[in-house]
Amino acid sequence: MTGPRLIQNFSGMQAHLIVAPTTASDALVATLMKLGLTVASYLPAGEACPVDWAALEIDRALMIVDGDLPLPGIAASTVSDLPPVPVLGLVGVEAPSRLKGLLQFGATGLLRKPIHGASVYAALYLTINEHQRRRALEEQLARHEERRRGRRHVVKAILRVMQERSLDDEAAFETLRRDSMRARLTLEHYCEALVRARPDVPAPARRIALPE
Amino acid sequence: MTDRHRIGILFSTSGPYGIVGRAMRNGAVLAVEEVNAGNLGITLEPEVFDPEGEIAGYAAGAERFLRAGIRHVVGCYTSSSRKDIIPIFEKIDGMLWYPSHYEGFETSENVIYTGASPNQHIVPLVQYLLARGDRTAFCVGSNYIWAWENNRILRETLALSGGRVAAERYFAVGETEFGQVIEAIVALRPDFVFNTLIGVSAYRFFQELRRACRGHGLDQVRELPVASCSLAEPELEAIGPDAVDGHISSSVYFSSIDTPRNRAFTDAYAVRFPDGPTPSADTEAAYIAVHLLARALARAGVGEIAAVRRAASEVAFESPQGMVRLDETTLHAALTPRIGLSTLGARFTILAEAPAPVAPDPYLVRSAPRIVPVLRRPSLRVVPS
Repeated sequence: MTGPRLIQNFSGMQAHLIVAPTTASDALVATLMKLGLTVASYLPAGEACPVDWAALEIDRALMIVDGDLPLPGIAASTVSDLPPVPVLGLVGVEAPSRLKGLLQFGATGLLRKPIHGASVYAALYLTINEHQRRRALEEQLARHEERRRGRRHVVKAILRVMQERSLDDEAAFETLRRDSMRARLTLEHYCEALVRARPDVPAPARRIALPE
Repeated sequence: MTDRHRIGILFSTSGPYGIVGRAMRNGAVLAVEEVNAGNLGITLEPEVFDPEGEIAGYAAGAERFLRAGIRHVVGCYTSSSRKDIIPIFEKIDGMLWYPSHYEGFETSENVIYTGASPNQHIVPLVQYLLARGDRTAFCVGSNYIWAWENNRILRETLALSGGRVAAERYFAVGETEFGQVIEAIVALRPDFVFNTLIGVSAYRFFQELRRACRGHGLDQVRELPVASCSLAEPELEAIGPDAVDGHISSSVYFSSIDTPRNRAFTDAYAVRFPDGPTPSADTEAAYIAVHLLARALARAGVGEIAAVRRAASEVAFESPQGMVRLDETTLHAALTPRIGLSTLGARFTILAEAPAPVAPDPYLVRSAPRIVPVLRRPSLRVVPS
């Protein structure tokens, strides 16, 4: 399986800045605009500002947060704490507590203050592509998790087919696999449907003889 | 009474790429003399430093100029030298006027770029080749950023158009042994060879490819054409009469541009520098850099770089290649892409020309796909028996 496609051109993306307006952020905004991004919201310093993740356009938005400010609340995604859009952290005070805050907020890239225009493209490249990669891994993990949960139905279905058709486990598995493909379902979903359709069939009463 | 401004000229006129350095220095010197004889109301006082092709030499030269109070330096050819000295200009607040085509992906408040960026050389070249119907490329290059980045852009543009890069081969700078790769090219018969070799490697490659094609009874120009975006007139002279003709080059300037303005430039250059080297795109870019600097200084009235930077994007210069202006945001020049075909006389016949100057796009924000395109290999291939 191949990883997600690399993004190299950030034009058309929206950068949402949670950064104190200083000369350092002027350099950042100027470079972002050179790179074709729009700076959609420019939130003032002060209280931790709430982020309305739902209002962000997932494929186009990028969050840039200043680690020196109180960090907004984290809206965790389903599997881990990866935020729904890429987060680039600005590092001023290099204290472990601030770095931990950025990490917990889901930053996949860092940019040291004062910001130097020549380091912005590389930081965006890493932040956005690393976020994509982690999102792909999360989705893959979620799929595996779902299949793992379905394995008990597969075991039950194999036992039932062995019993009903007098097959050994290999042949029963082959039958189920073929039938699930014909039904255009995953093996787990097919087996789950099979077991749920007739839940009353008793499990085999025979004891399985172990080899001496 | 005219304002006097000291400027630095920082080119390696000796060392491994001394020919290019001399051609660039000559362009700058010619422009200084024209400015001083002209009616802009300023006098430029150039100070020259030769880094001799050594990275440390560039830093020494830049430090010497800036510490002596010089604010504006015209110089550098290679990207490695430019990258090395930009921090010095940013720290001491000077302005580097960089006159060479390069691979892009850079902007700095302390650099003004008068050479072509990728959307003005490689992108027009690929468009030209695709329009001819060429789809498969064999890339041969010197192993450094210039070749890697141009090959990446070529690969991605071809992938979007249904073409492909059949093979990529890299060689150490200065390598002159190309027998194996030339055999591979002749066997593979791509639609074109994309050359990003530099210096002596390039000259030898052109000579050997032509010789090998003759040996195989192939017409190299017609059947295995070579396309480049760094091939200029001085290099054609170095390739020699046996293999000089029929090569495709993408550049914003060729000395054969047939306009009164360019003839005035090449005539003045020939009178001032009868021993050469032949003027090339980089000569013209250095010439443009000094003329734009002079106009910006005249407009700003002071040498202070913030004022000159502002003024620089407000002036224009009618250069040998056409009207040149700077883009205010990126401080790169709008230039006119052209495609040339080399002749037996070591010059270029111009095959195609953009109707107007093309705005610079150093980060390829407007010229590249958002997502890296992937070359799709066919799952079934016909294998000749």
